[in-house]
Amino acid sequence: MPVGKRRSSLIRSPQFSSFIILVVLLAVFAVADANFLSPLNISNMMAFLPELGIIALGMTLLLTAGEFDLSVGAVFGLAPVVVMLLVQNGGVDIGVALMAGLVLCIAIGAINGLIVTKIGISSFLVTLSMLLVVRGAALYITQGFPLKSWDQPGFFVTLLAGSFNIGSFRFYTSLWWFIGLSLFAIYILRYAKLGNWISAIGSNRNAAVARGVPADAVKIWLFIATSVLAGLAGMISAFRISAASPVAGTGYELEVIAMVVVGGTALTGGRGTILGTIVGALMLRAIRNGIVLVGVPGLAYNIFVGLIILAMLILHALLQKNAARS
Amino acid sequence: MEVLRLQNLQKSFGSVRALKNASLTLREGEVVALLGDNGAGKSTLIKAISGVFPVDRGDIFVRGEKVSIRSTRDAMDLGIETIHQDTSLAPDLSIARNLFLGREPVSFGWLGVFAPLDLAKLRKAASELLKRVGISKKLDADALVSTLSGGERQSIAISRAMQFAAKVIILDEPTNNLGVEETHGVLRFVKEVRDAGHSVLLITHNIHHVFQVADRIVVMRRGEIVAEQTVADTDLLTVESIITGADMSALLKEARAK
Ligand SMILES: Nc1ncnc2c1ncn2[C@@H]1O[C@H](COP(=O)(O)OP(=O)(O)OP(=O)(O)O)[C@@H](O)[C@H]1O
Ligand SMILES: [Mg+2]
Repeated sequence: MPVGKRRSSLIRSPQFSSFIILVVLLAVFAVADANFLSPLNISNMMAFLPELGIIALGMTLLLTAGEFDLSVGAVFGLAPVVVMLLVQNGGVDIGVALMAGLVLCIAIGAINGLIVTKIGISSFLVTLSMLLVVRGAALYITQGFPLKSWDQPGFFVTLLAGSFNIGSFRFYTSLWWFIGLSLFAIYILRYAKLGNWISAIGSNRNAAVARGVPADAVKIWLFIATSVLAGLAGMISAFRISAASPVAGTGYELEVIAMVVVGGTALTGGRGTILGTIVGALMLRAIRNGIVLVGVPGLAYNIFVGLIILAMLILHALLQKNAARS
Repeated sequence: MEVLRLQNLQKSFGSVRALKNASLTLREGEVVALLGDNGAGKSTLIKAISGVFPVDRGDIFVRGEKVSIRSTRDAMDLGIETIHQDTSLAPDLSIARNLFLGREPVSFGWLGVFAPLDLAKLRKAASELLKRVGISKKLDADALVSTLSGGERQSIAISRAMQFAAKVIILDEPTNNLGVEETHGVLRFVKEVRDAGHSVLLITHNIHHVFQVADRIVVMRRGEIVAEQTVADTDLLTVESIITGADMSALLKEARAK
């Protein structure tokens, strides 16, 4: 492909237009409030970013394969509740408790995947039910109360939620997790055989199956990966704030899906972009943070967030139409 | 030389007996047209051969050897490539990626599904293949399949089947929805494929196409093979009457008398 053509297709790509909008948004917020780019505020944004961002990586792969998962927010809440309860009330070793949390997430993802692929119920219905089951379980085992605060620093806490300073910026190790997992996801989707399969399954499942691609197995593993990433994000969050609550992560599923589609991944499958998802995660984080600084009243946040997401989707749709015409 | 033999295949979906004792032989370098009305069982037959689902009963022989086909992968490994009109390509993938879907060239193969695609090799092989099949318009191996016409897609699917040197190429209604020129392209392909020594099983509702490319005609009705004829020994009206099962002998006599 000639360089000029490659460049123009990059500019027309959805992740690129999202990126431009991100830059514009950042500029607007920076001008509107000088504190937006202050070390403290950037550190704040970077502390939150990985938690939803990590889930969004899994969701991107899942959406690319043509499925999605509404139970991620509930898993985000349940995993740390189970782990911390085991340690605090059951006297279990933290390593063992984390193992149990991992197995739990794998089981939830596997059940989602098996029902979707083997019984053939849409992932919307299956994972919506799972959301209720998982959230309900978290509420029941805690009787609805947050756990008592976590007071056991140690290897795993440092590994997932340790913090360090670079100049006047304060970063958490979770940022490394996000960066590492992002690079891995980019590799998988664009360069690995598995990514070819994922895109093909989402684009035309029957075609992929006819070529011998194990579509069901790939989907089941993607459901598992998404669940595990949601649990990991939940642990990171709980360790960072030293507390687990049964209602943590409520509504995250929609926020994560918004990040992914705002980045340019198609809700209908086949077309996924991890770079776009990273841009989308940054964008939603910046919006949530920026509109506070700009002085939008707290109760009006979601109006703005919703409108900006809608505007992004309209833009993608128009670009898509344009690309199809040319 | 016999390439594929189906013996007494049976397949039911619940109470629907889609295949009742279907037997068929395909020889090297011949085009066999599989005809029959809607619901006759043609697609069911080829799905059984291509590993989409197992048969309830019956045997499949490839080059005289009894085989069991349990998955699409099994069929491909036996050299049976199937092309479905609407389900053979992934539109969001590039031509190159489609051509090698399921058989991607990789480096570090021990990484399994995590192995990186050998993109250079992929692209090179794809453009060579595109050149070889001589698609009229110059196609870029990196172009997305969604930007291609129906006929171009069909040509890509057929060239993919050729590329893996399949012994048997099965086409299920390949000229459906295609324009005149594209239809000719596909028919020309079928002849080229046969001349290259492959065997072709062609399903179509267009009897005119059959007379242009097929060597033999097999007719199915209600899950059974009801007739088998060489193209040279029959004519359009006869074939039509066999397909519908209507007694057209009187009509035929009348037509011939004219
Ligand atoms: N998956 C299935 N489940 C249930 N019944 C099926 C299934 N597939 C096919 N059938 C039935 O089996 C019979 C044969 O169908 P098949 O698709 O093989 O017909 P066909 O000859 O390909 O017809 P057409 O020319 O319309 O494509 C039909 O009665 C059909 O309804
Ligand atoms: Mg059919």
